[in-house]
Amino acid sequence: MTVRRVLILAPAVLIIFLLQSYFWVPTYEEQTRGNPGRLNEYIAASIGDASILNPILSADSASGDINSMVFEGLIDRDEELRFRGRLATSWEIYEDAYFYINEEARIPGVGRAGVQQVETLLQRAKAGESPVSPELRTSLGNIREISIVPPREFLVTKSEKAKDEEAAEVKIRVSSPARIRLVLNRVDQDLFDNLSYILGKKYFDSFDAQGCLTVDDEKWQEKLPAYADEILPVTEHNPIVVFHLRPDVKFHDGHVFDANDVKFTCEAIINPKNLSPRIATYEPVKRVEVVDPLTVRIVYKRLYSPALETWGMGIIPEHLLNDEALKKEAIRLGKDPEKFSMRQSSFSRNPIGCGPFVFRQWKSDRHIILDRFDDYWEGPPNYRLYIYRIIPDVLTQEMEFYAGTIDHYGVPPHQVRRLKDDPKYQSFSGLSLGYTYIGYNMRREPFNDPRVRRALGMAINVDKIIKYVLHDQGERITGPFVKQTDYYNHGIPPVPYDPEGALKLLDKAGWEPNKEGWLEKDGKRFQFTLITNSGNPLREALLAIAQDAWKKIGIDVRTDRVEWAVFIEERVDKADFDALILGWLMGLEPDLYEVWHSSQTDPYQLNFVGFKNREADDLIIKVRQEYDHDRQVAYCRRLHEIIAREQPYTFLYVGKWTAVLDMRIVIQETDSLGNVVYKKITPTKTGNFTFYFNKWRKLPELPSFAAEG
Amino acid sequence: MLSFIGRSIIQKTVTLFFVSVVSFLIIHLAPGEPSQVDPLNPKFTPEIVERFRKEFHLDKPMYVQYVYFYRDLFTGKTVSWKDNQSVLAKIWERFLNSLPLFIVGTVITWTLSFPVGIRAAVGRSGLYDRSTTFLSYLLISIPGFFFAYMLIIVVVTRFHVPVIGMETFGLGDAPWLHLIMDRVWHLLLPSVLGATGGIAILSRYVRSQMLEVEGQDYVRTARAKGVPEEQVHYKHALRNALLPFVTMFGLILPGLIGGSVIIESIFSWPGMGRMAYEAILARDYPIILTVNFISAVLVLAGTFISDLLYLVVDPRIRL
Repeated sequence: MTVRRVLILAPAVLIIFLLQSYFWVPTYEEQTRGNPGRLNEYIAASIGDASILNPILSADSASGDINSMVFEGLIDRDEELRFRGRLATSWEIYEDAYFYINEEARIPGVGRAGVQQVETLLQRAKAGESPVSPELRTSLGNIREISIVPPREFLVTKSEKAKDEEAAEVKIRVSSPARIRLVLNRVDQDLFDNLSYILGKKYFDSFDAQGCLTVDDEKWQEKLPAYADEILPVTEHNPIVVFHLRPDVKFHDGHVFDANDVKFTCEAIINPKNLSPRIATYEPVKRVEVVDPLTVRIVYKRLYSPALETWGMGIIPEHLLNDEALKKEAIRLGKDPEKFSMRQSSFSRNPIGCGPFVFRQWKSDRHIILDRFDDYWEGPPNYRLYIYRIIPDVLTQEMEFYAGTIDHYGVPPHQVRRLKDDPKYQSFSGLSLGYTYIGYNMRREPFNDPRVRRALGMAINVDKIIKYVLHDQGERITGPFVKQTDYYNHGIPPVPYDPEGALKLLDKAGWEPNKEGWLEKDGKRFQFTLITNSGNPLREALLAIAQDAWKKIGIDVRTDRVEWAVFIEERVDKADFDALILGWLMGLEPDLYEVWHSSQTDPYQLNFVGFKNREADDLIIKVRQEYDHDRQVAYCRRLHEIIAREQPYTFLYVGKWTAVLDMRIVIQETDSLGNVVYKKITPTKTGNFTFYFNKWRKLPELPSFAAEG
Repeated sequence: MLSFIGRSIIQKTVTLFFVSVVSFLIIHLAPGEPSQVDPLNPKFTPEIVERFRKEFHLDKPMYVQYVYFYRDLFTGKTVSWKDNQSVLAKIWERFLNSLPLFIVGTVITWTLSFPVGIRAAVGRSGLYDRSTTFLSYLLISIPGFFFAYMLIIVVVTRFHVPVIGMETFGLGDAPWLHLIMDRVWHLLLPSVLGATGGIAILSRYVRSQMLEVEGQDYVRTARAKGVPEEQVHYKHALRNALLPFVTMFGLILPGLIGGSVIIESIFSWPGMGRMAYEAILARDYPIILTVNFISAVLVLAGTFISDLLYLVVDPRIRL
């Protein structure tokens, strides 16, 4: 019967055909033996795909990974986390400071004074003709140059919109008084505070900026104070960074990199048309000046020390993305040149930078392939190819690592013990940059009492959490700074696990156990809800552990898991919670303004726990205005102390990451005699093992290291 | 016949309109924001978020957004918010990737289910029938992702060969036959996994259809007049048992675009299902809505085709 035969033969043939394909696929060993080229390829894996390969537009980590290979910034951080030059060879930071002459104010010992007199007064003080305090002496000694900016008349136009009305143009006539310009050798945030010893306590505060403005329409009179602050700020700091650029650096298309590219990159970020997510960090830039092709000067509007780090951003080539180039592309694609921006440009899928790797190919959700750049200024990397695979599943990533088609695998905590000692692999681990915490809504009773917050922290055994929940892949943390940096104050002991002590503290705060064993104050039971987002098993485990620990000391805790979007929009943004478990990812810069400053406690702002502390506010501002590392460190350590004392969060832990690599991957260097030397890969102080990635290579056999230290 | 087709097309267009409205509403009213306007990202100032909202027309009333979206869709101008690529081009590329998986999976399902089901029906209540019943229920109840992981772990740790993705990485310049076979190997596991559920269910259907037909009078008549047993099963019974399966062919169509989210994610197969899933996570509305719309069209087209097929193969039905 043919029907029957066909019914049986068809599936059999199909299955045999499919199965025989197994014999064509290479195993782990065969891959390098049969194809020596594989040794020159590095294959990395990522959970998510990149979205846009333009460093000024990308916001996700996968795009960031690729952009950091293809593009290069002016500076980056070295092994010790200090800044080091990349496209810039060196840089200096100084400051232009200005203040308006306040002719109404009385200067001690002088009386009312015009601009000439003030200038002379300052010159004399600088020359050391009068005895002054040491702080003032330092400030004065730091002044390089004093000059006068003459008075000016000009017109400012603002667009204003009243309720239910069309936007109107407001014309403001400004007659600004003379100004003193001080050029400083280094940035000095205390300058004006110190100068007020000479000029009088009220010299700056009593300046009548509003008097210098006239608004044409009476209707906007009420806005005058705001305009005055904006147009005529009595004092102004203009920090200046001058970068000296590396000569003869080339983009991948052969075009030579120069200062115009730096200027262009910065202006492209600020240009609202491009919708750059980095616009906020570049907002303090006042202007970028090209001094000569290898020198660029950046003038800032105000003191903002985290700004230096932003120059680690990849520099994009002006000649491919300027208005002219974009216009040409728009016309070629038949699109409206008016609406065509960098975001639409095909550059984002075919990037050209001056980093160590050249972009070759991007297949969405599959892979991105980069070739090494032979003209790289630091010498080309050892790997010929860099392949970035998109594998959305962690377990399959692991399997691909075992099968040899990924070179590096980030190990989840529970596997660390097993893979760490596997002789086939080398492993690295270090602290990550994020911490997990329990945050208390300090606007609500009883969390407004620091004793209660501390007691809640004392009831939780964090060491046990780290041991059993994190499989030892974590460390305790006591404050909001990155533990590897100097800013972190190691002198602060973590909150001890001490339920007895917690009860004593709560007793002091007025909470006493009732007959049923629950804590009570004024007849009200200690009761609240602890929430976190669903879908994070670690946080969900913490939820149960905290609930249990608090129950043991007599606190009635309910828990709730909320879907992420709802959690953020309805609970966090509106500060509608008692306590929550969340995590922060930290930057290396110690700027705490958004998360800890008291001005950021409104709905939709990030200080959602409502932490307000005057001294902390002061320090937070000082930290972000300070350009001197040592002073910054001192401020941060003090800030860390305050936050640890106040316990607005119970700081739980910072996680550890572990990565494994094939043992055969080593660092290859050429010594002074021209011999090739192999070295074991060692992580830097902060645990960054890919720091020397450009020198890595894979050997066909396990190497033996001559001199191992 | 013509009036049936006309009526059906009008009905389906109306349905499609409602589907488009409802899916648009559901997606826009669901909590969460596109990642570009995520208010919790500390890097984004309110101004940026506002500008993005404007760029994406999110500041407009819902019906205006609806009109904008479908205007763009029908003129082929929709772009993904994630990477500014044309949505239709993206879907086409992913569709081509999902296609081999879909074809091999379907071929495996349909070629395997029939012999298995028929054999079970013929040897009813025998050892073979019982064991296939057991196996079918086992395969139906095993969660797909679990089965996939088990298979992957066994293959990788026992045979040391890569199975993830569409091809082995770092093969270099191997001969073309090698490359083709490598691709076939990578197709094997995901398509077999995608087919297991189908085989289990379809073979059950085949079995019950066969049993039903075997009980009919004409089958008894055929036996009584001395037709060989084999011919009774494969000629008289099978032909009639096949009728309902013809219509099922039309219903396969929507599977073309749906792909399999779980299998594609586990095997990092760059297909349709995975793209749609990731678009949902990132709230990339243009992609979600376009995929949704196309699959609605395919579902409606599928039912339409199966109606027509029924007309063709079953002489009893006339309109």
